[in-house]
Amino acid sequence: MWEQVGQTLHESTLRVVSRIASILPGLVALIIAIFVAACIAWLVAVVLRRVLRAIDFDQRLETWGFQAMAEWSPAHSPTLLAARAAWWVIVLVGFVLGLSAFDATLSSQLAFNIFAYVPRLAFSIVIVLIGAVIARYLARHVLLAAVNMNLQYARVLSAGVRWMIMTLVITMALDHLEIAVGIVHLAFGILFGGIVLALSLAVGLGSKELVSRSLEREKDKPWQEAEEPFRHL
Amino acid sequence: MPDTITITQETRERVERIGTADLVIGFVVPPKDQQAIDRAIAISRAAITGFAQPPRAVLICPGADAPAESADASLQIIPMPGPPLDPLNLVQGFADAFRSVTNVARTLAARACATIAADPSVMDENWIIRLAGPILESDYDLVAPCYARHRFEGLINRGILYPLVRALYGRRVRNPFGPDFCLSTRLVERVPSATGSTARVHPIASLLPEAIASGMQICQAYLGVRSYPVPDDAGVSALLTQILGPLFAEIERRAAFLQRVRGSQPVEEYGVATNLPEPDSGADVSRLMETFQNGTRNLQEIWSIVLPPSTLVELKRLSRAPAAAFRMDDELWARVVYDFALAYRLRSINRDHLLRAITPLYLGWVASYAMNPDNATPEGAESLLERLCAAYENARPYFVARWRWPDRFNP
Repeated sequence: MWEQVGQTLHESTLRVVSRIASILPGLVALIIAIFVAACIAWLVAVVLRRVLRAIDFDQRLETWGFQAMAEWSPAHSPTLLAARAAWWVIVLVGFVLGLSAFDATLSSQLAFNIFAYVPRLAFSIVIVLIGAVIARYLARHVLLAAVNMNLQYARVLSAGVRWMIMTLVITMALDHLEIAVGIVHLAFGILFGGIVLALSLAVGLGSKELVSRSLEREKDKPWQEAEEPFRHL
Repeated sequence: MPDTITITQETRERVERIGTADLVIGFVVPPKDQQAIDRAIAISRAAITGFAQPPRAVLICPGADAPAESADASLQIIPMPGPPLDPLNLVQGFADAFRSVTNVARTLAARACATIAADPSVMDENWIIRLAGPILESDYDLVAPCYARHRFEGLINRGILYPLVRALYGRRVRNPFGPDFCLSTRLVERVPSATGSTARVHPIASLLPEAIASGMQICQAYLGVRSYPVPDDAGVSALLTQILGPLFAEIERRAAFLQRVRGSQPVEEYGVATNLPEPDSGADVSRLMETFQNGTRNLQEIWSIVLPPSTLVELKRLSRAPAAAFRMDDELWARVVYDFALAYRLRSINRDHLLRAITPLYLGWVASYAMNPDNATPEGAESLLERLCAAYENARPYFVARWRWPDRFNP
């Protein structure tokens, strides 16, 4: 009996070891793929960083109106952001290629799914980036207009505009990624509906008299009279 | 805007029938009624007879009927070509009308071209005589206007335009943006037409710089009280944007010339300076100060892109000062304006935002100017203006240094 137990144990050990031995090349291949990808990524990142610095990319981006990119970038440098993004994309591609070294069917399916998801992810990132730039532009516009009209709550107004747009943009991005679509739709509807309702109530009930007085005053008093006797022209 | 819009085919044919003229008089703002149009025509006729040698003149007046062939050969009348003046964008409207008038003057090879923005009902023929006289009789190239104003009038000109243009271009012209000017043929030829590479150049903003840079003869004439159209529903912020944009763009265009200018020289003056009586109502600066303080609280993020830290600290200190001690140093204000001109060039932030961000600072300067006790009399106001101009000239090396090495001052 002990002989049979020993043999069974030996066979199971052999099976486990052979299974591990069958995985090991794939694992080594994965590590090598990641290592090679990291080397290539490092090289690409270095070249990209040098090229972007040579063409003064950070300054040009500001000139083109993408000042917001600097805020989202490490060390306020969009060049660094681009270099790091390139590094991660190449390493990710290396990782996915390395996965293919495992079980052919399973890992290929996984790799296919991941690659199929990449365009959606990239497009969502673009949506968020463009949204962030637009949100920043409009928030700044509202802030300046409000301060120049001497509104005391200028910053709150500006922040409100920024977050309203960012909420809309993030919702669009999540919808595009098909992440919890139902919840996102519901939450967005509740949030936006709530904001509009709250504003309507606040203006309609709470500040009714204040708003009407203010509008009357503005209607009756042209801007140049508001600052008599100063004539700027 | 293409050239064909500023002069229509019909007007062009009429101008060609007229042939040549000595003087073109252009009213760039549409007179408010028929009575004002008649007065513009009467003033122009009277002005022609006021010269020792009456010139052959062409009057361009918006709304005026153009007789097929005028019986009076000394004054031909043509309607204003081009679109009507946009009251929401007066500065651009003046520019378009100015282009139309100078295009006609160029076609007629006129010796002098007077553009008038004032309301005809408050001016007389002496305006035209004083504007055109130095060109027709003394061979000047540009006659700029001087107006009778009280100390709270023309504040953008007083606080920014005159001192800045004087410090940078080196000539003491009181109203660099006119808008009432008279130009010689030589200068008319250099006014940017609406086509080609100069289409984006603002003709009024570039007029004085062009005359100075080309070494032309410049003088200024005291014209009297000026009545100007009030922009519809436009705030100070919109006005500043419309005026400072072309001004800063011109500075950027002329950077090489500006760096060679040293000091400032007076220009020849015609007529006698007068002042208007002070306004009856007292100056309430509380709203101006509140806007400045509001800006200091909320616009730090934007100002910190434009202004160096030392300026920000001084502005913060000023915003906390009690009303009685609220004084913005001339040097501080001059450096602020220079920094904004530089940020415009560097495109540090969106240009429209940049020009709007100066409004609270400008209103702070107005409040400080209005509360300054040295400002109580016209003489005091004049000496205050002279001090401000000196501050701009003293801060000029700061501007030139930042222009050449913008990063050196920005940690």
